[in-house]
Amino acid sequence: MNIVVLVKQVPDTESLVQIAADGVSIRKEDVKWIMNPYDELAVEEALRIREARGGTVTVVSLGGARVQETIRTALAMGADKGVHIQDPAAEGGDAPATARILAAALKTIPFDLILCGQRGVDEDNGQVGPAVAERLGIPHLALVVKVELLDGRVRGHRLVEGGTVVVEAPLPALITTQRGLNEPRYASLPGIMKAKKKPLEVKTLADLGVDPATVGAAGRKILVQALKLPPTRKAVRMITGETPEAVAAELVRVLHDEARLI
Amino acid sequence: MERERLEFDVVIVGAGPAGLAASIRLKQLAAETGREFEVCVVDKAAALGAHSLSGAVIDPRALQELLPDFRHRGCPIEEENLQDAVFYLTADRAWRLPWIPPFLHSGGAFVASLCRFCAWLGSIAEEMGVNLFPGFAAVETLGDDSGRRVVGVRTGDKGVDKQGRRKGNFEPGVDLLAKVTVFAEGPRGSLLREAAKRLGLFEGRMPQAFETAVKEVIELPEDSPWLGSPEAVIHTFGFPLGLRTKGGGFLYRMAERRVSLGLVVGLDYTDPMFEPYEEFLRFKRHPLVARRIAGGRVLQQGAKTLPVGGWYSMPRLFADGALVVGDSACTLNARRLKGVHTAMKSGMLAAETIAEALAAGATGPAALEGYRRRLEESWLGEELRESRNFSQALSRPPASRVFHLGAQWLSGGRGLVDPMPIHEDCAALKPRSFREPAPVGDLDGTLYLDKLTGVYLSGTRHEEDQPCHLHIPRPDWCTTRCWEEYRSPCTRFCPGQVYEMKRQPDGRPQLKLNPSNCLHCKTCEIKDPLRNVLWNCPEGGGGPNWTIL
Repeated sequence: MNIVVLVKQVPDTESLVQIAADGVSIRKEDVKWIMNPYDELAVEEALRIREARGGTVTVVSLGGARVQETIRTALAMGADKGVHIQDPAAEGGDAPATARILAAALKTIPFDLILCGQRGVDEDNGQVGPAVAERLGIPHLALVVKVELLDGRVRGHRLVEGGTVVVEAPLPALITTQRGLNEPRYASLPGIMKAKKKPLEVKTLADLGVDPATVGAAGRKILVQALKLPPTRKAVRMITGETPEAVAAELVRVLHDEARLI
Repeated sequence: MERERLEFDVVIVGAGPAGLAASIRLKQLAAETGREFEVCVVDKAAALGAHSLSGAVIDPRALQELLPDFRHRGCPIEEENLQDAVFYLTADRAWRLPWIPPFLHSGGAFVASLCRFCAWLGSIAEEMGVNLFPGFAAVETLGDDSGRRVVGVRTGDKGVDKQGRRKGNFEPGVDLLAKVTVFAEGPRGSLLREAAKRLGLFEGRMPQAFETAVKEVIELPEDSPWLGSPEAVIHTFGFPLGLRTKGGGFLYRMAERRVSLGLVVGLDYTDPMFEPYEEFLRFKRHPLVARRIAGGRVLQQGAKTLPVGGWYSMPRLFADGALVVGDSACTLNARRLKGVHTAMKSGMLAAETIAEALAAGATGPAALEGYRRRLEESWLGEELRESRNFSQALSRPPASRVFHLGAQWLSGGRGLVDPMPIHEDCAALKPRSFREPAPVGDLDGTLYLDKLTGVYLSGTRHEEDQPCHLHIPRPDWCTTRCWEEYRSPCTRFCPGQVYEMKRQPDGRPQLKLNPSNCLHCKTCEIKDPLRNVLWNCPEGGGGPNWTIL
C-alpha cells in the first residue's frame, strides 16, 4: 500500500511568539520549529499501517529550506522517502494555494491513502486536507481517531459531541488525524542516522506544473489584516494561610473587599 | 534487553561551547591529516543551544583560533566595541568605579546570546560531518570489564511512565561506543558525577564551588534612553547581596532593543532564608537597573550554575578512554567573569590530544594525559593559574578580601595563601537562623515576574508521565532535620519552584515536587545542606527551550 503523509512545519507552541514589524506575520527568528503535532499522528498511523500491511510511506512538505528538518524527523521515525516542495513563489500562500500545490505534487506520486493532521497548530485553518481531497476528486474522512483498512475501503471512527460516528469510503481516500488516534513514536538515534541516507527529493513549482501566479503571496484570496497577541495575564496571586480555615477566610475577604465579586 | 550499539571514534556528551569546539577541531584535524574521525555529540536539549545560558560577553580568543573567519560565517554577534562600566550599589545609590581592573575590560569582546552562539557552532559542526543528536540524554557511562576504561555512554530510554513501566511508544536507549568519550556536560554533570567516583577524578582536589545565575532577556521600549548610551556592558557589586555574599549583577545590551540582565549569586551564602530569585528581583528594582529597563517586557528567563572553583578544583582531566572539558572541568575564569572562551579552548586542546592518540592507535591514560600538559602550557592554563585563588578570596570576610585580592593581583595569582582553601557550598548554611521573608514588591507579570511566569517564559517542558528525575535518598529528612534546621531551603534556592512544602492535615510539612518546572540548573544538588538531592537527566528533549539567552 502506498501511503502519503502531508506534514507541516510549525512554531513550537512553547516558543517565544512575537508579531513581526509588518503586523500580519510572526517573527521567524528565535522560534523553535517542530512537526505539526497532528501530523505526527498521521506519520505514526502511516507507519503502523505499513508495518501491518507492507508498502511505502512518502512524506510531503511545502516550505523553505528548514522544512527539510521536519521531513528528516518523519524519515527518522521510519518513513521511506521525502518530497520537499521548495519555491520562493510558493511562499506566503493561503490554505487553498497550499492545497493546490500539494494536490499537484500528489499527481506525481502513486497513493492509495493520504494522511494529514486535521489542522496546523499555527494558523488553525483546518482547510488544507479537505481541499487536497477535493482537488484530487477523492473522498476525505476528517478528524479520525481510529483507522481500519478493509478490502479496498477505509473505515474511520470520528468523535462527535456525545458519541462516535463510523464512516467508510473507497480507496484512494484522504484522512485527517485527530488527537487520540495513537501515540507517536520517538525518532530513535539509529533512526536519525538512517534518515540521513534516505531519499529526499526537492521539487519546484515548475516541476509540478503549477502556475506561480495562482499560489504564494500572489495567489492569496484570504489576506491577514492584523495579528494580535492575547492580552497579558495578570500575575496570579496566591492566597496563603496557616490553616485551611484561614485560607478560606482570606479568600472570602479578597473576593468581597478587593475583587467585589461576592 | 538487547540494545543497539553504534560505534564512533569519539563520543562527546554535551553540545555547549566546549563539546562543539572539540567536535569542530577534531574534524579540522582529520581533514589536515587526511584521516576520517567519526564524531558523535549528544545533548539532552531538544534543540541546539536550548540549554545554553551565559551573559554572555565572549572573548573571541579561542574562536579566532578555531574559526578565523567566524565573522564571515555568520557568528551571531549582538554588540561589539564595548564600553564597560562597573558600579558599586547601595540600596538606592550607585557609585561608578573610576577605574576598571584590566581583567574586567571587555574591549575586543562581543555580546552574544549563548543559545544562538551554540546553535551556530552546531550548524558548522554539522556541515563538517559531525553527528549531532540533540534530544538525547546520556544517562550512563559504559566501562570495560575492569571498570577502569570508559568505552562510551548509554542514552536514556524514552517512553517510560511515572512508575517506570514501558509506554506504547517506548524507545530503548542505545549504546554509543567510542575510543574516546568526552565529558562536556557543563556544571555538575550527572554523568561525570558517577563516573568520577569510579575513576577517582576529583580525588585530592579542592571542593567544587558554584554560583547560580538568574538571567532574563528584556525588550526595551523604542524610546528607552539607554539604547543611545555608549555603555553597553555594566557590572555591579554590592546591593542586593551586600559584601558578605559573593556575586554581582550584569546588564549587557544586545541588538534589536534587547538587554541581557542577570544576577549571579555565590552558593556559599550562609543564610538559610536567602532566596536567589528574590535577590534578582531586588537587583532589577535598584534605580540603576530599573531606570534602564523601564517600560520593558521580559522575553525569556532562565537560570544556570557556574563552576567558580577554578584551577585547584579542576578534576583530573583524563582517564582511560575519557577526557573532561569546559565547565565540567571547571575551566571558567571567575576573575574575568568569562567561561565561553576557556571552555572552547579546553575542547580544542582535548581534540588535539585525541587526534594524536587516535593516529597512534592508543587511547589509554598515557596517551590522553597530554591534554593536561597542553592545557597547562597554553594561554588557558596561564589564565586559570592567574585567577586560581580568586573566587576563594571572595568567599572570605569583606575586610580581608581586599588584601587577598590585592596580593593576588601583585603576585600573579599566588596571593597570601596559595592554595587558598575553600569549603563545599552545601556546608555553608547556618542552621536555625530563621527570619521572616522580606517583601519584594508587586509583580506586574510583564517586567517583574514571579517564579512560575519565569518558568513559563523559559519554554520549559517535560514529558509529564515519566519517572521523577530528582532522587531524594532520605525523604523523611525533608520534614524532619531539614525543616527543623533550615526550613526547607530547597523551596527558596530553586529558581523554578520545583520544591514546595505543603501542610498535611495534621499540620506537619510535606514535600511536593514539581519536576516538570526544572530549569536544569542543578542548584538543588549543589546547595542542599543534607546532600539529599541527586539530579539525574530527565527524558531527552525535556527542559528549557531557550533561544535568546
